[in-house]
Amino acid sequence: MTNSQQYQNQLAQERFGLLVTARLSDAAESLPHDISERLRASRVQALGKRKVLAPHSATRLALSGGDGSPSFGQEDLSWWDRVAAAIPLLALVLGLIAINMIQNDNRANELAEIDAALLTDDLPPAAYADPGFTQFLKMSSGKY
Amino acid sequence: MATEQELSDFLKSVERRAFKRSVYHVRNEESALDIVQDSMMKLAEHYGHKPPAELPMLFQRILSNCTLDWFRRQKTRNALFSNFSDFEVPGDDGEFDLLDSLDLQNHTDRTESAESSTQRAQTLRAIELEIQELPARQREAFLMRYWEELDVAETALAMGCSEGSVKTHCSRAVQALGQALRAKGITL
Repeated sequence: MTNSQQYQNQLAQERFGLLVTARLSDAAESLPHDISERLRASRVQALGKRKVLAPHSATRLALSGGDGSPSFGQEDLSWWDRVAAAIPLLALVLGLIAINMIQNDNRANELAEIDAALLTDDLPPAAYADPGFTQFLKMSSGKY
Repeated sequence: MATEQELSDFLKSVERRAFKRSVYHVRNEESALDIVQDSMMKLAEHYGHKPPAELPMLFQRILSNCTLDWFRRQKTRNALFSNFSDFEVPGDDGEFDLLDSLDLQNHTDRTESAESSTQRAQTLRAIELEIQELPARQREAFLMRYWEELDVAETALAMGCSEGSVKTHCSRAVQALGQALRAKGITL
């Protein structure tokens, strides 16, 4: 096949392709109303998920006058998501600290009660360290 | 970076063709709508920040992948679409004379306005049926090249194959369509 024939074949191929797709374009333009509406709804839904870079959105807010109404776009949502994800962790840490403090207080109170009981008793605390007093207690318990 | 309006305009310009292309592939309007919706959402979600010039290529690739995913899911769900031979590159079957096949030159003076609306509808239906009958890769290459008006390199990139494969797919698609339409007595 010569170059000229190849070129003519290519031209004919392209021409045929364009003729066919021109017919297809006509068909695409006359889609049923419900299909067109569903495509439009899909488009609107897709635009709602559009990814916007943070610097651009900040610039756009400034350019639009910065009305102070934050739009809950993808970045805002993810920022709030991050904050929301950190809340349970923060609550856990605070809870552990509170439990530790309460347990320390309880232990200190128990020790204070024991100390107070020893100090306010008729028997002086030094008596418990006296071997003679211990022997006296043993003899007394054996007697009764 | 594409503005929301630019992205909206782009989607509006391609959504109908994308729907019809998906219908030709999957032969089901509901599934085609799902595929187009998925494609639009993926484009907006992941590539909404890209320059407008990059959107057509990205969308074609996403649409192709979504269509392929649909076939994979169908295959997983049931065995109805177990024949994937259409996705393989067909064997080399030699050259052909396109000019003999298409028989275009004798009808250049025929204007479309001369056809009745019924004839146009019938012709369109026949074309759509024949396009649906094409192997998937040939159909994809043909529609991207001539309907989406991508060049060979762009089509190859969107389809993930070589430029030579695109040319082969297009050539075979044109040959098959030309022969099939001529057999039905349809001239363009």
